[in-house]
Amino acid sequence: MSRAPLDGVRVLELVDESAEYCGRLLAGLGADVVKAEPPEGAPSRRIGPFLDDAPGPDRSLAFWADNVGKRSVVVEDDGELLALCDAADVLVHTVRRAEAAARGLDFDSLHGRAPGLVVCAITPFGQDGPWADYEADDLVLMALGGSMAACGYGPGPDGRYDTAPLACHGDQAWRTASTYGAIAVLGALLWRETAGSGQLIDVSAHECSASMTEWHLMTYLCSGQVHRRGPHPTLTAADGRQVAALNPDFLGPHVFARMLEMLEDEDVAGALSDPAFADPAYRASHYGEVWRALKRLAAAHDGEALYRLGQSAGLPWGVIRSPEEVLDDDHLRARGHFVTLDHPELDRTVTYAGAPFVAHGSPWVVRRRPPLLGEHTGEVRHQWRRPAVDRPGAGGAP
Amino acid sequence: MALEGVRILDFTRLGFGAQATLICGCLGADVIRVESTRRPDPIRVMPPYVPEPGEHGEGFGAATLANATGAPSPNRGGIFYKYNTGGKRSITVDARHPSGLALLKRLVERSDVVTESFAAGTLDRWGLGYDVLRALRPDIVYVSMCGFGHDGPDTSHVTMGPTAQALTGLTFMVGLPGRPPAGWSFSYLDHVGGYLGAIAVLGALQHRRRTGEGQHVDVSQLEPATALSGALLLDATLNGRPSRRPGFPTGNRRAHPPTAPGGAYRALGDDRWVVISCRTEHHWAALVEAMGRPSWARDPRFSTLAGRVEHADDLDAHLEQWTSGQDRYDVMHRLQALGVPAGAVQDAADRLERDPQLAARGHYTLLGNAEVGALALEGVPFRMSATPPHTGGRLRRGPPCLGEDTAAVLAEVLGMGPDEVAALAGDGALA
Repeated sequence: MSRAPLDGVRVLELVDESAEYCGRLLAGLGADVVKAEPPEGAPSRRIGPFLDDAPGPDRSLAFWADNVGKRSVVVEDDGELLALCDAADVLVHTVRRAEAAARGLDFDSLHGRAPGLVVCAITPFGQDGPWADYEADDLVLMALGGSMAACGYGPGPDGRYDTAPLACHGDQAWRTASTYGAIAVLGALLWRETAGSGQLIDVSAHECSASMTEWHLMTYLCSGQVHRRGPHPTLTAADGRQVAALNPDFLGPHVFARMLEMLEDEDVAGALSDPAFADPAYRASHYGEVWRALKRLAAAHDGEALYRLGQSAGLPWGVIRSPEEVLDDDHLRARGHFVTLDHPELDRTVTYAGAPFVAHGSPWVVRRRPPLLGEHTGEVRHQWRRPAVDRPGAGGAP
Repeated sequence: MALEGVRILDFTRLGFGAQATLICGCLGADVIRVESTRRPDPIRVMPPYVPEPGEHGEGFGAATLANATGAPSPNRGGIFYKYNTGGKRSITVDARHPSGLALLKRLVERSDVVTESFAAGTLDRWGLGYDVLRALRPDIVYVSMCGFGHDGPDTSHVTMGPTAQALTGLTFMVGLPGRPPAGWSFSYLDHVGGYLGAIAVLGALQHRRRTGEGQHVDVSQLEPATALSGALLLDATLNGRPSRRPGFPTGNRRAHPPTAPGGAYRALGDDRWVVISCRTEHHWAALVEAMGRPSWARDPRFSTLAGRVEHADDLDAHLEQWTSGQDRYDVMHRLQALGVPAGAVQDAADRLERDPQLAARGHYTLLGNAEVGALALEGVPFRMSATPPHTGGRLRRGPPCLGEDTAAVLAEVLGMGPDEVAALAGDGALA
């Protein structure tokens, strides 16, 4: 088994579908992530789509996607759950504050019995504030956080928006909160190695969502203007595929020079060969000519070829792919990105997204397919008996 | 702070790389940005510009082209302030000057981590590739962040956020049926790539603590995104239901879990919207109650979740008649009081001025520097009880002016006196 950064670190996960991605990231870093589930299974096991569209606790593809590399334990009551907390290094949970207090899962109670435990609470709005007990799903968080206001189709000719702001599929606000949760857990574990103590990490998914809209806050602070949703530069290729076609002139005159060279090689430069276009101000006021040349280029090539032509001229172009089309990317395949795991009980092999980066000294690990409900109840109860602090590798590790 | 005592020599720029070191700085690392006066970070000189007191800025809507050479100062580019909180310091050293390169090597010897976000091969050309770094400091953690990473057939390809979003499915997943993808109008993957860059730094530090070994971590802007599509990939490969199919993406409608009504509904005002999401019978019953039990809601087609999903178009039309005459926040709070997930669609101004939750959580911290005064800036959006992160980093200060810490860092880290620094500057090594 390869040496991963969190080898030997025990993470107990008590989460609904909003924060499973956190444990998936920690498992990739080598942690022993154990999912505590009620006898009927975690809520995400009942969320589709299901394998062959046949529901069942071990057939949810939503569950599979975010639970790769974990183990599953069925917990009958909170006594068993707290015993697992005592043996864990980290607890990641999504229990709201009132329920946590009622069940002895609030930080003060947990810290009293397991002082080294790092507790990461990932909730929609955090542990306090006027909205702390509000309800949210990912859509609500994408709305409140600001991404949604900046995504969607532009206004009609009358300036009125006739379609709603849109949120991306895939639960991006929840995923951002999970990712920040993993970052904070890593920080808390590093600090614990010298200080010995656990702590409470309080992740507000709303705050996470609010902090991922790039320049929008600064635009408002600088100009009083609000960034509104609208189209971004896209070319339609000969095969109907679309290519995101950014032309970052602001990076310097070489950007247009290289583009022009490529357009001339392809015989579509037209008016752009006029030396006047070398002047950025002239170009800015005649940008329609640039766009017409790019459209002539697009009409002559399929999407994949158009993307590569742009890149050959140093332009940050990318063909718009559906999620499954990403599987065919030769570059990602050459980097060994995708991982195929056996699901022997179904006689299936399944390809998953793999390492989010290539760590040459401590490779990302994908150690097991997503767990069947309660698959590891017996072995975890046996292995997790001793308190975490007594084990080598935990607490005051070398 | 969690990363107390960790020094990061930071060659990142733009958004993707700088997001990673922003996080490390907020956690307490000493992040030293290595910059150049001759080739400043583009986001230092791009609009929107932080206005002089009393001056009104131009806004990002102005053509970036026209402003390409017009930045008033490398300390006024607004986007720089988004990505460079965390108490980062700034030194200017010319890596292409022999004395500058020698100086950087001495700094590497005294650093735990080197981060950079140049095109693959750039640091090698400067004479600061991983093999050189490792010879200087055997346990150095070197985290590179560039579009396609340092290995693979397409390493010469370049990305900005929208490029990576197109290639990894993120753009595709935003849109209405029967129309081309709408995509994101900003670089979400600059953030996500940076988050994973921070995880790369933290994981490698943990590995170093356990083994004494450094390493090179190669972060691209593509791989952090492939898991963001959730179950869509598996639905395509296992169930034969590709995302590229008629009717998908479904705008704001979500089939898993089934949600109806679910979406953004027009509210009172110009382009104002409120999101409402009903996944349970309780949510629906409470919504009906909040609406004053209108007769349309008793339509048998709407009596079950399956029925509401099937007849979502009619359902949404009725619901929007109710929301469209009301303030988006009134709808949100009235529904939330009854336990129904609802939220106003907020823009940046709303988040800053009309969001009491962000205010109560201390989401914004007023920080600035000698040139721009105080701005409401963001750091990391989580709290830690024992090692609280701070948007101003360990030094509790705003993003640095270009080169403002050169003399202080050289004195503190290398013990150099003013004369020595002045000599280097006179030699052109500190440009």
